[in-house]
Amino acid sequence: MELWYTHLMRESIDQDSLLVQGNRACALGALDAGVRFFAGYPITPSSEIMEVMARELPAVGGVFMQMEDEIASICACIGASLTGEVSMTATSGPGFSLMQEAIGYAIMAEAPSVIVNVMRQGPSTGRPTTPSQGDVMQARWGTHGDHPAIVLAASNVADMYRLTIAAVRFAQRFRMPVILLADEIVGHMRESFSPEIAGRYRLTSGDFDFTETYTHPEMVREVHAPHELGTLIHPHVTGLIHDETGFPTNDPKKSEQFLRELHDKVVHHRDELCLYDVKNVGKGRVAVVAYGSCARSARAALKLAEQEGIPVEVLHLYTLFPLPVEIIQELARRVEFILIPELNLGQYAREVRRLAENWTTVVSMGRVDGNLITPRDIVDRLAELVGKYESS
Amino acid sequence: MAEREPNVAEEESTVAEPRTIDHYLHTDRFPHIWCPGCGLGTVTAAFLRAALELGLEKERTVVVGGIGCSSRAVGYLDFGTVHSIHGRALAFATGIKMAHPEFTVIVLTGDGDGAAIGGNHLIHACRRNLDITTILFNNNVYGMTGGQASPQTGMGGIATTAPFGFDEPSFDLCRLAEAAGATYVARGTSYGVRQLQRLIRDGITHPGFSFIEAVTQCPTEYGKRNPPKGPVQMLENLKEKAIPRKKAEGMTPEELEGRIVTGLLHRDESVPELTASYARMLERVRGSADE
Repeated sequence: MELWYTHLMRESIDQDSLLVQGNRACALGALDAGVRFFAGYPITPSSEIMEVMARELPAVGGVFMQMEDEIASICACIGASLTGEVSMTATSGPGFSLMQEAIGYAIMAEAPSVIVNVMRQGPSTGRPTTPSQGDVMQARWGTHGDHPAIVLAASNVADMYRLTIAAVRFAQRFRMPVILLADEIVGHMRESFSPEIAGRYRLTSGDFDFTETYTHPEMVREVHAPHELGTLIHPHVTGLIHDETGFPTNDPKKSEQFLRELHDKVVHHRDELCLYDVKNVGKGRVAVVAYGSCARSARAALKLAEQEGIPVEVLHLYTLFPLPVEIIQELARRVEFILIPELNLGQYAREVRRLAENWTTVVSMGRVDGNLITPRDIVDRLAELVGKYESS
Repeated sequence: MAEREPNVAEEESTVAEPRTIDHYLHTDRFPHIWCPGCGLGTVTAAFLRAALELGLEKERTVVVGGIGCSSRAVGYLDFGTVHSIHGRALAFATGIKMAHPEFTVIVLTGDGDGAAIGGNHLIHACRRNLDITTILFNNNVYGMTGGQASPQTGMGGIATTAPFGFDEPSFDLCRLAEAAGATYVARGTSYGVRQLQRLIRDGITHPGFSFIEAVTQCPTEYGKRNPPKGPVQMLENLKEKAIPRKKAEGMTPEELEGRIVTGLLHRDESVPELTASYARMLERVRGSADE
């Protein structure tokens, strides 16, 4: 495999101690994953992704387009995707809102694409340079109608690289848009990085090989519309409910079957799609479930809490949707409470609560002042909760 | 007698006959959704006859529509067809053409789809001068949703959302396209079908962004509220109002008031086409990378 980071970094003095920005790592992951079409529109804090793509795509014969807005960006990506190109776009909250209708089209038309959303504080213009995880539910439910979603969340620079690779592969295999969420912290921080470091991670969820980058993985059998434009079969692609011919249908039975199969495509493959990591399995009476930059704090809090006599289990989710139902329910059965630190007012905590509330208490720890949640914050909150639950 | 024409002979004669526009149609998808007297089929047929003249290959031709009555045409065409979302056909087409410059890419859109919700994409597509041919079916109304006012309804026009008369002026879509940078701009009507076919044909062969406004009639949603009522009267009205560009050149703005200037209005072959200049940039970048 030809790794583009070597090409990009060849002028660096010491390749073992490269400091790479999260957004840049995302772009490098995209190039290594075979993305050859990128259309985007500038927006803080994601612009560096498109800047790297603008610079690097021509060298590999790819197409870079700066479009007139985010709607045009995602539509151009879908257009390219319908011809078989591996496409991607990157944006932040306001742009992500604009893309929603087209994301639904891509789900309906089974057009693969990757949408990176480097989240900033909202709603509206909010605080553009401030981290947030406020778009979690928009990533799941932003477009109208009943639809499936694949949503990943990056917690550090290496994640930005390898989860972009995972997003591309999932998009191609499931023929649908995949959303990769990052936040301003992850997008803009710099860390020591190389694809080898990124590939070395082992997840509890199994054998996803992040060093394996191939652009046309086998499609899942539930996919309806694998035909590309420009082939001998002249396909018809539509956002209307359609049958196996690709043409619209008003048949109630076929309509329901089609919509259910779109969902089944994701639900039947939950084990494959749910990437996660558990630390301290069975050792803690309490647990932290976290994703994105908060997961980083949670992992650091684990050691700190142990030192202070609070054994804690940490579930780090890389896939937010489809929901890791069994994983969360197993965890719920073995702990007294689950704490969920996130940079919003409890969006994912609500999801976890409805899965776990039969067995345990779910406590939301939301922060929306624009600062990150530190390991110390998490440990302090755990100590408070332990005191509360032990005294009760 | 039936015996005189066995199946084999029939097949042979079919092959020998010149192709009709059925060659490019999914006739099994008929009946189409358009109302009696509608002009959209006439414009679509003009496009298909132009395609026949040029011998467009189905495999290498992609037709993209947005949402609305006119965009529904793509559902009957036997090319690679994309029925995209409202207003965004040109953005889809941009992705398709940039990814595969060898494809012939046609966009079918309407006055609501192309000039209202898709107006921004239209001017930027003109500016980029990507080799896409856009046919905008202008019937002055939102037909599919039931007769609401479009940017092209015109001052005083009656629509379900302008029951007391529309107060807003229209675009001159061809002047808009030219000002935005389109390098081939033409206007025809569903009355002057031969002219329209020729204008579309030349637009497809033009190496750059081609914009063709096809002025047509919607008797169901526009005609029933605005004179002249009825499809025949509306077509006659198009015939009377249409005036060739050359004839119009010598006329004053007052004389041209309410007239439809038809024909090739603008053509410029000096502007580089985008896929070609992008390919040159790739060569330059990759050449210097190899050194």
